[in-house]
Amino acid sequence: MPSVNTRVFFSKVGRAKYISHLDLYGVFQRAVRTAQLPAWYTEGLSPRLYLQFMLPLSLGQEGLREAMDMRLLRDISFEETKERLSKALPLDICVTDVSAPVMKNTDIAFAEYEIKGNFDSDKLFEFCERPSIITEKKTKKGISKIDLKPFISVLGVDDGNLSIKLPAGNDFNINPTLLLGAYESEFGKLNGIKIIRTRILNEKGEVFR
Amino acid sequence: MYRNRDYLEKLESFLLDVEKPARYIGGEPGSVIKDKENVDIRFAFAFPDTYEIGMSHLGMKILYGLKNAVANYWCERCFLPLPDMREKMRENGIELYGLESLDPIREFDFLGFTIQYEMCYTNILEMLDLAGLPVIASERTSLTPIVMGGGPCVCNAEPLADFFDLFAIGEGEELNLEIMRLMEKCKKENRTKSEFLKMASEIEGVYVPSLYDISYNADGTVSAIVPKNGAPEKVRKRIISDLDKSYYPENFVVPFVDIVHNRAVEEVMRGCIRGCRFCQAGFIYRPLREKSRETVIDQTITLCKNTGYDEVSLSSLSTSDYTDIEGLLCDLNKWTAENRVNLSLPSLRIDRFSEEILNEISSVKRSGLTFAPEAGTQRLRDVINKNIREEDVLNSVKIAFEGGYTAIKLYFMFGLPTETDEDIIGIYNLAKEIVEQFYKNPNRQKGKAPSVSISLSMFIPKPFTPFEFEPQISGEEINKRVKLLFDARKDRKISISYSDSNLGLLEAVFARGDRRVGKVIYTAWENGCVMDGWNDCFSFEKWKAAFEECGLSMEFYANRRRSYDEISPWSMIDMLVSKDFLIKENKRAHLSEPTPNCREQCSGCGVKDCPVHKKD
Repeated sequence: MPSVNTRVFFSKVGRAKYISHLDLYGVFQRAVRTAQLPAWYTEGLSPRLYLQFMLPLSLGQEGLREAMDMRLLRDISFEETKERLSKALPLDICVTDVSAPVMKNTDIAFAEYEIKGNFDSDKLFEFCERPSIITEKKTKKGISKIDLKPFISVLGVDDGNLSIKLPAGNDFNINPTLLLGAYESEFGKLNGIKIIRTRILNEKGEVFR
Repeated sequence: MYRNRDYLEKLESFLLDVEKPARYIGGEPGSVIKDKENVDIRFAFAFPDTYEIGMSHLGMKILYGLKNAVANYWCERCFLPLPDMREKMRENGIELYGLESLDPIREFDFLGFTIQYEMCYTNILEMLDLAGLPVIASERTSLTPIVMGGGPCVCNAEPLADFFDLFAIGEGEELNLEIMRLMEKCKKENRTKSEFLKMASEIEGVYVPSLYDISYNADGTVSAIVPKNGAPEKVRKRIISDLDKSYYPENFVVPFVDIVHNRAVEEVMRGCIRGCRFCQAGFIYRPLREKSRETVIDQTITLCKNTGYDEVSLSSLSTSDYTDIEGLLCDLNKWTAENRVNLSLPSLRIDRFSEEILNEISSVKRSGLTFAPEAGTQRLRDVINKNIREEDVLNSVKIAFEGGYTAIKLYFMFGLPTETDEDIIGIYNLAKEIVEQFYKNPNRQKGKAPSVSISLSMFIPKPFTPFEFEPQISGEEINKRVKLLFDARKDRKISISYSDSNLGLLEAVFARGDRRVGKVIYTAWENGCVMDGWNDCFSFEKWKAAFEECGLSMEFYANRRRSYDEISPWSMIDMLVSKDFLIKENKRAHLSEPTPNCREQCSGCGVKDCPVHKKD
């Protein structure tokens, strides 16, 4: 059956940041059903609503422009999809845009984050500027040592706010908590820190579309 | 949108350090937020167990929707936070709060617990304490919050009498609103708590334990129950007469995290025609009332559309007893199949299991099947009035095996009245025959083996059943019988699991306990007992110590045969089923005489205006 590839951009903030990546599928699945969107189901023994989320967002982090793909079977405008889905989703998840996919999932190379809170951002900035930042990273093969320094680009620093760009994607991903963890192990726990993923980018630094 | 800022900020500071924080912050689709300014009565609906269990409970969904449908009433939810969360809450000065507003429950007008299971009693105390309230009712002197309880366990609420202000007996749809309206009036008139309770006791179905004096004989049995201040001698349970006209939610609060029963639920009937003699639900929810087919279909479709669930279960005590269940499933299936909704029937009776039903429920997904023969031999099944025959069991599994199922789960009870070794061995023999049945199917999948699991639970004598007079067997005897069954097992395709017998003993104590047991519950909780229904939290040693400290014996409550003329601690409660009937049924049990189900023949249980017989 012919279907229209549809990319949904959404924000996930407030109480919704406590929804795990695993539970997010269920939340969107029920929303798509409540919105009565003509969505495509996988074939086979136990058909499943096809929803593909681009880049997992850690529990507790907020995202301003997250992306999810689905397929729609009937002609329905992106505008209407956006409207119906928005209404069906919990309040702290908001559909910001619906459009045809331009890039591929595998094009994702970077993500930008804002680290906010009541902390000394200059001190964290100085930490980021060190010649090397050695920490441990969990991978599929186990725990390995990694130097974060070459992967961090600081985009801006302000009172209680640090913006950074980090590698992102299925193959290689640096979670900002890795950087914060390294910082905390030296300077003690940072309390009330907010991490917001603001944008997802491709290799060239273009916004993921 | 209202949210308690102070609590939100504090919660945000540690919520990521606890497991599954989404359970503690609310905001789920379907949850109701109101403007505090326009609300007169606030009700905290408390489920004294984890979020995952509580959120699966249908009664909460009904009463939550019903109360919130009244413009100036606001009902919120609260559950027992797990130990990591409780610790963080106490550390940060956060009291038990409502998930919708994040306001502390202490500021509410009602804290209403639904009490589904005896082993959650300490959880109630823990929640009261977490709410910053004195757990003893008499120490809470202000008008609000009133701590009330409902649900099946309150048909004998005596062990909880010290902790609660009032109990709502029977079905809550009308009763809850009547109690809330009374509070609205009392708040306007600046009434005291005791004035409120006195007026509440005049509402049919309200039991105010502080208005009853209990005295005891030298042997420990109850000698008299004396109502005071005009409280009624008998509190009669409330029932809803017409389920088609009664409130049913059009939407559920749909959780973010996975819960035990994460699906839409349509209640198709209340009550049960069967009268299995061990089953409390089968007596206390009488009479049987059905929703019409149209109502069931309408409500099911509405619920699925509003929640987005792709699974719906048709719920009742025995859904296959619904009149023309096949016709209903056939009609409903037209819509569910088209809309990719899975139908599930949670309570199938073995003798009503048919190919049609199997086809309807398996049209989307195929999993294991569960049956409950309850006893291993025909004689014992006659004693407990579980009117199914071995042929029914074998015929049903034959259909199931032919339908492609390979895993069968069987529920049995042990320690039933009159049970002998032969009955225990009978459990294994029945499982063995089921395995053999699999190999008799010529079209069975080659290379596949059946798996039959026997799940044993201990018989608990419950109030308002014909077995309320029966003793529970001793711990020693329990171990002997379990060992007998394990020794008999030769076939590895048959697995056996059984519940903790110490837990069963305590359950039996609480089920038929009197007011003095409250002291034990309090003592055990003070010594750290909480979440007793969870194996890893349950400490029988602590409970034993608490009984000793209070000078009470578990055996007195659990293992003693009670005479027919003994005054039971719950005698002030009228569940509509007469004691004469229970005695008659008890006598028939000892003669191994089954009793026909309500549709076949009225057994004169004492329920007036029973709709089953109006139809005849």
